[in-house]
Amino acid sequence: MSKIQEVKVNVEEGKTKIVPSLVQEVLDEGEKAEDILEVMIKAMNVVGDRFSAGEIFVPEMLLAAKAMASGVEILKPHLTGEGSSSLGTCIIGTVLGDLHDIGKNLVAMMIESVGFNVIDLGVDVPKEKFIDAVKENDDVKLVACSALLTTTMPALKETVKALKESDLTGFKVIVGGAPITNEFAMEIGADGYSSDAGSAATKAKELVKELAIA
Amino acid sequence: MLTIRENLLETIKGGNPDRFVKQYEFLEIIDKVPIKRIKPKPGEEIKNEWGITFKWPKGQLGDFPVHDEEHIVLKDVREWKKYVKAPSVIFSEEEWQVAVKHAESVNRKEKFVTGFVAPGLFEMTHHLMRMENALMNYYEEPEKMHELLDYLMEYELKYAEQLIKYLKPDAIFHHDDWGSQTSTFISPKMFEEFFVPRYKKIYKYYKDNGVELIVHHCDSYAATLVPYMIEMGIDIWQGTMSTNNTPELIDKYGGQISFMGDIDSGVVDFPDWTPENTAKYVEESCRRCGKLYYIPCLTQGGDYSSFEGVYENASEEIDKMSKVMF
Repeated sequence: MSKIQEVKVNVEEGKTKIVPSLVQEVLDEGEKAEDILEVMIKAMNVVGDRFSAGEIFVPEMLLAAKAMASGVEILKPHLTGEGSSSLGTCIIGTVLGDLHDIGKNLVAMMIESVGFNVIDLGVDVPKEKFIDAVKENDDVKLVACSALLTTTMPALKETVKALKESDLTGFKVIVGGAPITNEFAMEIGADGYSSDAGSAATKAKELVKELAIA
Repeated sequence: MLTIRENLLETIKGGNPDRFVKQYEFLEIIDKVPIKRIKPKPGEEIKNEWGITFKWPKGQLGDFPVHDEEHIVLKDVREWKKYVKAPSVIFSEEEWQVAVKHAESVNRKEKFVTGFVAPGLFEMTHHLMRMENALMNYYEEPEKMHELLDYLMEYELKYAEQLIKYLKPDAIFHHDDWGSQTSTFISPKMFEEFFVPRYKKIYKYYKDNGVELIVHHCDSYAATLVPYMIEMGIDIWQGTMSTNNTPELIDKYGGQISFMGDIDSGVVDFPDWTPENTAKYVEESCRRCGKLYYIPCLTQGGDYSSFEGVYENASEEIDKMSKVMF
């Protein structure tokens, strides 16, 4: 197995202690930082797919994301452009009145791992704050909103409506959370829906591709 | 006509129940015990007996632990002994009076006097240190997690001793959520390592001391954990969401454990709920799950609903299904 493949395998297995030194070795051997990053993103795609398929569980996904982040830290000084982001900025948050953050945090980690620069607004986020974040940050391509309660579904609807009715353009809106369905997502005007963190990362990339084509 | 208790026992033992067990009707939960469980009211933020901050946003369904940097109780599990201090479970006879009187008022031929325990071991770990940290620590600091879980188990056993001493409960209703709608939080293998031995010990202690029925609440997917639930000594899994394929579980494990739920609270208990919608879901669950090893119930972890009238409406619909199916 090549050293760069070892990086991929170790990210998939969440080996935080091994990944940074391996990444350094691969860099020392002359591999481009961008290529190493690409391999790690592929590893996280595998992790996301395994999670969606029920083959691995939340801890394994968290450890893989942590291992990836530790590798990115080594790569950062060697990457051209700004940091590790190649897909643009994603604004993420749980909507007003909802304090659930576990699912939202997992989605944030996975989306970051596949190449987005993530701005996490936290929980209990008013719609105005989502809009301000789109205005205040560069290259926003995606806004991800989460609602975990039937009682905060109206707040999700309001948030999507406010984003869509604002003058802001150039981004897609993805939604999720336990009571949310694809039908509800479409009904409230979101561009995409995903049922778990693994498929959220895949869907996020698809939506950004659609933006590029449009 | 069988008593509520007899009907429950017929249902879970595969006998001849004469109607559906109606949600929580067989459990008389003794909730006014002096062992404090500090919880916020709607709109409040409080620090509970373990030092964990909980917040209940106004207009929302419940309270949540607050886990920003300022509020996390346990930032580094290697230092758990320094930060995790169990509250006392010792209270005077006088302080137990209200609960004891409640227990004494129950006709035990009709209902099960029930001790209530929440949160359980898994939930305690993530309340103390935040979910992501807890989940990673099972991998990264397993020895410390084992130590912490032993400490939490010892607390539960001390709590159990007091419940038994004062209430002599017939049943225990124990909360611990182990998953999301579609998956368990940790793998079955990890669950086996960290939780099965400890819950076996806790539930055995109750059963060795006169408790007849262990009802465990977990309103999530947990189908892959059912063999472990049986091993732990759980008699009824309350909160079985329909995502578990309840009829399949009944076929496979009926006789060893019973399932209480299948009527997902999320699809019936919401602001604009209607009796027609409740009736539809109750009928579907009763028909697909059948008469034995199954108790039709909202998946919520108590004899209430988030929106007024839903719980009672579901009970009426279960009565209707009893008339149709028995």
